[in-house]
Amino acid sequence: MRKRMFGSSGRDERKEMTAAGPRIHPLSVISMTFVFVFIAIVVALIAADLSYIGLGDVSAALAAPEIRAAIRLSAVTSLATLLLVALFGAPTGYALSRYRFPGRGIADTIVDMPIVLPPLIIGVSLLVFFQTDPGKWIETHGLKFVYTRKGIVLCQFLCSVSYAIRAAKASFDSDNQKLETLALTLGCTPMQAFRMVALPLARNGIVAGAILAWAHAVGIFGPLMVFAGCVRMKTEVLPTAIYLELSVGRIETALAIALLMLALAACMLAAIHRLAPGKRW
Amino acid sequence: MLQVQGLRYRAGNFALQEVSLDIEAGEYFALLGPTGSGKTLLIQNICGLIRADGGSILIEGRDVTRLAPRMRDIGYVPQDYGLFPHLNVERNVVFGLRARGVPMREARERIRGLVETLQLGRLLNRSTRGLSGGERQKVALARALAIRPKLLMLDEPVSALDESIRQTVCAELCRLQRELRIATVHVTHSFEEALAVSDRAGIMREGRLVQTGPMSQLMRRPADEGIARFLRIENIFRGRAISAHPGGTIVEAGGRRIAVPGQRTGEVVFMIRPTDVEVSPASEEIEARGENAFVGELAAITERGAYSRLEFNAGITIVTYAIPGRAHCVFETGGKYLMTLPREAIHVFDNPMP
Repeated sequence: MRKRMFGSSGRDERKEMTAAGPRIHPLSVISMTFVFVFIAIVVALIAADLSYIGLGDVSAALAAPEIRAAIRLSAVTSLATLLLVALFGAPTGYALSRYRFPGRGIADTIVDMPIVLPPLIIGVSLLVFFQTDPGKWIETHGLKFVYTRKGIVLCQFLCSVSYAIRAAKASFDSDNQKLETLALTLGCTPMQAFRMVALPLARNGIVAGAILAWAHAVGIFGPLMVFAGCVRMKTEVLPTAIYLELSVGRIETALAIALLMLALAACMLAAIHRLAPGKRW
Repeated sequence: MLQVQGLRYRAGNFALQEVSLDIEAGEYFALLGPTGSGKTLLIQNICGLIRADGGSILIEGRDVTRLAPRMRDIGYVPQDYGLFPHLNVERNVVFGLRARGVPMREARERIRGLVETLQLGRLLNRSTRGLSGGERQKVALARALAIRPKLLMLDEPVSALDESIRQTVCAELCRLQRELRIATVHVTHSFEEALAVSDRAGIMREGRLVQTGPMSQLMRRPADEGIARFLRIENIFRGRAISAHPGGTIVEAGGRRIAVPGQRTGEVVFMIRPTDVEVSPASEEIEARGENAFVGELAAITERGAYSRLEFNAGITIVTYAIPGRAHCVFETGGKYLMTLPREAIHVFDNPMP
């Protein structure tokens, strides 16, 4: 067990620094025990799921038209959410990182609110909002959200965008702001400096944050039930499909869908770690 | 070329106070000062990276005080060189041209001469991550020069380099500047570095530009004791004027009577550069009849590589330097020697206290 020490510069950047002395000591034993206990719990859960169902259950689930529709809807809505999240995350994170403005602290807190708020409350709040005059106005002017697929995207977006903003802000915070101002002396406008320097340097963090937000959005269940409903072949996504299958006693099908989502989540995390090495959420 | 007039800028408890500076076309100007004296703040103001609170900045007669950095035509090389890590060497060098909308092919053409001058050809396709300090500096310099600036700002350009290559790099900078004839401001806290590169220098202290002039003048005639100490001038004496003397004043310091130039009264603080002190074998006779000639004991010899620092005790402590093998006499600790302080080499501070 090697403990990573302070980094070094230049060509030795990737070399891990380890202090001299014994590699196994009480601190390393205790902390690594916690790591192994956690891994054991997660592996036990997955193993239990796998032992409960067979490959036939998975292929049967995949063959069912309503499940295929749920997979399709999950993919389409979460990709739309990803797009919106990416569009919002970078500029919002940049503004919060770079600019000092009155009420910045409050803005920072509000951005974090969807992370700490139970998702169900977001669903209920949306439902209530669309009963108010501004909400009704939006609904009557061509943008119908309540119990529609657009509502799924709105719900997923509100529940997950904070993760993308937070990751983008952390990325802009850690990248060297001096390089951006230096670009100004070389002839850049502030917008060019953002596009040519700040954005490429923060790219991995932004992409990883957006993927994290996507992974979160795919798994949202409670607020969708409240705001978008759970109508088969219409507003049913994977998490709500699991709920519906469980409610009619088809545990094998529910588990098969769960395993599909698990595989998807594993792919996401692998992508995050590849895009932003060293960053862990 | 560059005129800074009454520039003011406040950052917390620190402030640039009414800084005024004139730099001629083609001049190599060193901005000297201890850490925290405001050198970097001043050049960041000039580059437009921070907004001045007051005063004006003119480049070739045009007021640029309120203009964005890109409108000022200044090439800036920061202390850490600030290479863009996501771009290779060539993309770094052409960055400014690309930002100005120059197509890549034309940009490559335009930097060709610069790449040859700075010998960057073999590095162009390399990532900036594996470059040595000297290579990084060259890339940063090429990037700043590629936009053909009217003024070049170098913020401590050699401080990140190994001691062994600093002199070579300074000589390179000098050669390049002479070749391109571009007005350059070189920020440093090392007076040896300023001496090596600059035509003229300015000394900053606590947010003020306290003295400007050719380096030789700064070394011989520092405005006050603080500047002299910053320039590491060791022979600074305090005494009291006791009588007038033809063309000067007799000052008593440490029990010795020393003739200094000019008419002085009261407390007098004066200096002489160690290199101006003349040392010869002890002679009581010369001491008795010579002006500012004192016999003293050699208290310590400190080796400084190319030269030795000699510290004599003659009532006052006098320091001089000797090159081993080139001195007129053999120096031994405890030996007696005659030191002469030529009156014309003595500088009296008009405002001793900074």
